[in-house]
Amino acid sequence: MNTIKELYAYRQMIASLVKKDLRGRYKGSVLGFLWTFINPLLQLVVYTVVFSYILKANIDRYYLYLFVALIPWIFFSSALTVGASSVVAQKDLIKKIYFPRMVIPISYVTSCFVNMLLCFIVIFAVILFTGAGLNPLALLTLPIVMAVEYVMALGIALIASAVTVYFRDLEHILGIISMMWMYMTPIMYDKSIVPERLLPVFNLNPMTHVIECYRTVLYNKAVPDLSTLLFAAGLGAALLVVGCLVFNKLQRHFAEEL
Amino acid sequence: MAQNEIAIDVNNITKSFKVFLDKGSQLKERLLFRKRSRYEERKVLRGISFQVKKGEAIGLIGHNGCGKSTTLKLLTKIMYPDSGTITMKGRVSSLIELGAGFHPDMSGRENIYTNASIFGLTKKEIDARLNDIVSFSELEEFIDNPVRTYSSGMYMRLAFSVAINVDADILLIDEILAVGDANFQAKCFNKLREIKAHGTTIVIVSHSLGQIEQICDRSIWIHEGLIRAEGPPKEIDLEYLDFMGQKLQESTRKELEEKQPEEQEDSGAENEPEEEESPEEKKRWGSGAARIKRIKAYASDGAEQRIFRTGESILFRLDYSVKEKVPDAVFGIGIFNRDGVQCYGTNTRIDKLPEFSLEKSGTAEISLDRVELLPGEYLIDFAIETGDGIPVDYFREAYKIEMISNTGDVGVARIAHKWNF
Repeated sequence: MNTIKELYAYRQMIASLVKKDLRGRYKGSVLGFLWTFINPLLQLVVYTVVFSYILKANIDRYYLYLFVALIPWIFFSSALTVGASSVVAQKDLIKKIYFPRMVIPISYVTSCFVNMLLCFIVIFAVILFTGAGLNPLALLTLPIVMAVEYVMALGIALIASAVTVYFRDLEHILGIISMMWMYMTPIMYDKSIVPERLLPVFNLNPMTHVIECYRTVLYNKAVPDLSTLLFAAGLGAALLVVGCLVFNKLQRHFAEEL
Repeated sequence: MAQNEIAIDVNNITKSFKVFLDKGSQLKERLLFRKRSRYEERKVLRGISFQVKKGEAIGLIGHNGCGKSTTLKLLTKIMYPDSGTITMKGRVSSLIELGAGFHPDMSGRENIYTNASIFGLTKKEIDARLNDIVSFSELEEFIDNPVRTYSSGMYMRLAFSVAINVDADILLIDEILAVGDANFQAKCFNKLREIKAHGTTIVIVSHSLGQIEQICDRSIWIHEGLIRAEGPPKEIDLEYLDFMGQKLQESTRKELEEKQPEEQEDSGAENEPEEEESPEEKKRWGSGAARIKRIKAYASDGAEQRIFRTGESILFRLDYSVKEKVPDAVFGIGIFNRDGVQCYGTNTRIDKLPEFSLEKSGTAEISLDRVELLPGEYLIDFAIETGDGIPVDYFREAYKIEMISNTGDVGVARIAHKWNF
């Protein structure tokens, strides 16, 4: 409870860190902020070429099918990998001055989240130009889906960032983990083609449900299944609670370990 | 009012650090060399308790490594104690790391916002303080320039202005009053007094006892992780200085004893024709007809030492050797402080002594009565010249002494004085 109050008091710090991160990320590059959009678009092109011309997924409007899942996934995986090294990256600050340590992973995850929101502009543009159309009622649930994903990403980032301080290898291991995780989540393919035996694994993967929800709203133009959404929300909340507990326990010795 | 309210309550805190001899933080190292990650546990704090009343200012003193900075870090909550509790009431601001989070490419104004937000200020609160911060830093003209264009003095001024304008209830300060020029320092000092008058509790860690005496109501002397003494700064600081002075003398004496055998060897090599080319040589020049072999300093009681109290007498004894006869030798001495300022210099010619004829090895002495040099290190040059001023053996920085004192007066040397009213 105290933590929440304190974090609220430090909201300006979170805001300014987010701003600094967003502004500083592409500093010095020619295209600058445009990279926020170019990067996912290029990934989209690669995957679309592979899966609609080479591997032939046979999905209608595959680019859109993939795009609405890929952008949320990029947010999640960058929250995981960038978030993990966030505390270590700010060690100078942590060693020298007091502030609630959670501010750091929170602001990193938030900045990744803002990035995703910006990418959604591109998603909507694509939907608009291709005439795919939208369902306004379904769209109303989109913020909820996003919030659930944010909570989930934050929970994971809290754990990863705190553990990385004590165990630096995690940063590198996470690259592989996040790739494995991507292929274990129905992003580039449909869940229906997953072999029966593997389904339990997919169902336990919190991101499966989140991605499904995004896809239902933006691709199928339907209101997501309430049970799927609730299940995802439950998993997200659990992750966040565990994340907070782990982080709070580990943060006591940050200054000495860094 | 609530004048006796306790702002900081430190209750029996201990802290130890693991000093790893060989630490592996990678998985491979952890698994393979489990037994190898040995460490020593160093107890820095062994149970410290004190309370600070609201509006009180205290100074933590002690020699390096005694645990005073660790105590301050525990107070800021950068680290946590192993046992014991710390309770602090109100918003805490620390002048420990100035300019935390400054971004060189952002303007001074933007950095004020970033930096102040790290102290837990909201945008509204920063808006309200912005004018005070800018005017205190005296950087009005430059406030919209990127911070990388600032000089280091300007940088520190800006950082200090932010930290001091946080309006904290508790202010923690670690050796920061060395900010900017003398004018700005004075300004900081006045600001600190003003803040204190407004009821802010202040904890200062400093080596400058003078600063502590000017601001603090109480000094706490931490020694080897325990509180050794606490009380009015004037008394505690004196006690501490006396203790430190004695300790320094002891350690120098020990050092000298250890060095003795080496020096004996040196003098054994005295008669060898080719002198060794040591790095010392660059600080030394002259014809080499005569050479200063050894220098020693003695206190008035005859004890050999390198540390003297301001006002004590010092006797220097120079042993010299002669290779070729110097018929018209002049001896000289020069005393320099750490900034390279010559504090005093004279020679036997200036003092109208007859020239010496150096024929064989011997000893020269100069005794300085009541050396009123203020605390600090002093380097001493000794020289032998001919009557025409041609150096025979000019030895720069031949000897080092340290002056100590428990009076807080400042400058180069003490001038005897008295006040009349």
